[in-house]
Amino acid sequence: MHYDFDLAYIWANTPALLGGLAVTVEVSAISILIAVAIGIVGASVRVLEVPVFSQFVSFYVGFIRNTPLLVQIFFIFFGLPAVGLALPIFTSGVVALAAWGGAYNVENVRGGFLAVPKGLHEAARALGLKPAHYILLVAIPVGLRVAIPSVLNTAVSVLKNSAYLQSIGLAELTFVAMEKVAKEFRTLEMFAAIGVLYLVLVLILSWLVRRLEHVLQRPFRVR
Amino acid sequence: MQLILDNLGLFAAGLGWTFRLAVVTLLISTAVAAIIGTLSVTRSRALRVIALVYVEVFRDIPLLVNALFVFFGAPLVGIPLEPFAAATVSFSLWGSANGAEIVRGGFNAVPPHQRESAVALGLRPWQIYCFVLAPQALLPMLPPFAGLFTLLVQATSLASLVGVGEFFRIGQIVIERTTMMSGHSPAFVIYGGLLVTYYLICSVLTAGTRRLERRIARRTERPTSARALVPQESV
Repeated sequence: MHYDFDLAYIWANTPALLGGLAVTVEVSAISILIAVAIGIVGASVRVLEVPVFSQFVSFYVGFIRNTPLLVQIFFIFFGLPAVGLALPIFTSGVVALAAWGGAYNVENVRGGFLAVPKGLHEAARALGLKPAHYILLVAIPVGLRVAIPSVLNTAVSVLKNSAYLQSIGLAELTFVAMEKVAKEFRTLEMFAAIGVLYLVLVLILSWLVRRLEHVLQRPFRVR
Repeated sequence: MQLILDNLGLFAAGLGWTFRLAVVTLLISTAVAAIIGTLSVTRSRALRVIALVYVEVFRDIPLLVNALFVFFGAPLVGIPLEPFAAATVSFSLWGSANGAEIVRGGFNAVPPHQRESAVALGLRPWQIYCFVLAPQALLPMLPPFAGLFTLLVQATSLASLVGVGEFFRIGQIVIERTTMMSGHSPAFVIYGGLLVTYYLICSVLTAGTRRLERRIARRTERPTSARALVPQESV
């Protein structure tokens, strides 16, 4: 079958696509920030073995990682209103993505915290630092550095997974493209366009991750 | 609760499709991953670039976009696909890209002196691959592939978007039907139930993966899991 690939069509729809891209970036950026916060708090609770909370965080992480994100999104957007918690689309999206990314970040940050040399932990104890001070003054400066590459990998995943939000009607990149496809049937053009956009976004972020890894290693490099 | 019991047959059928989809996809992914992964550890630069592009494209583009593209795009180039076939193709592309990274990790986990010794013994390149590297690389690949299966079980929920009647789609259908008949939506109970079911299935799979990992680590007595070498992927 013959199909005329129309580059001009993509060009003509650039404003709409960029609008979608802006929503994608916005929802991802907010979710990523919250997810990082969840990761740090959750990892601290796990590392300090705070009773009850530690078990809760552990269950939360397991639950998120062992269920499909799409079902989580539907549960939050369509299920929660039944118990009186009706959130707007954008907020639902942020809650879903932040909860998802947060679960991965708890493990990422915990990995970093556990990589803090034992001597530092003992030294902090000997100095009489309180657990909260240990986290703030020792674990975060030393451990977070180790965790940053994996935290950023999760951020990349959150960005990709923001596409899932098209299924609840958030007007992000994929949604905009699908809407155009439904109206004007230029399927290949639209998918090529958003495919390239996602690819570029992810590659830029991954490149930043590698640069950052390089920079973060600097204090430890032998000159 | 009554609602779930009434539709138990439907849910079971949905789970059946979920597993069929996951298993078929895993088999295809494994076969393709073996080829792409091997390409990525060959000496030839061109082949490595091909493997790299394949892996990056299918890992970096969201799986959902991939699935919609295969389903809606295939008819335009003259190969209309049934929903199940479209989902299988799409998930296999994604799964094989992730699998290829596992295969690469497996080969990289083989200590370099193995290859050097094989070269010194005068083995041909294909003999080095088949008789020296592959057998040693295989074992550490097993846990990550088990992990990939868990991811695929979760990924199958996306097939609902292209119209496969798998577990999640069945849940949606039951919700729509009940809402229309009774006037109030059971979304909370049904989606909650789906989450719990996925959780139980995938936790068992994850626990199995961990055990496999530990057993293999014990057997080979060196840090062999390719898992550490594979960036996390997720659905």
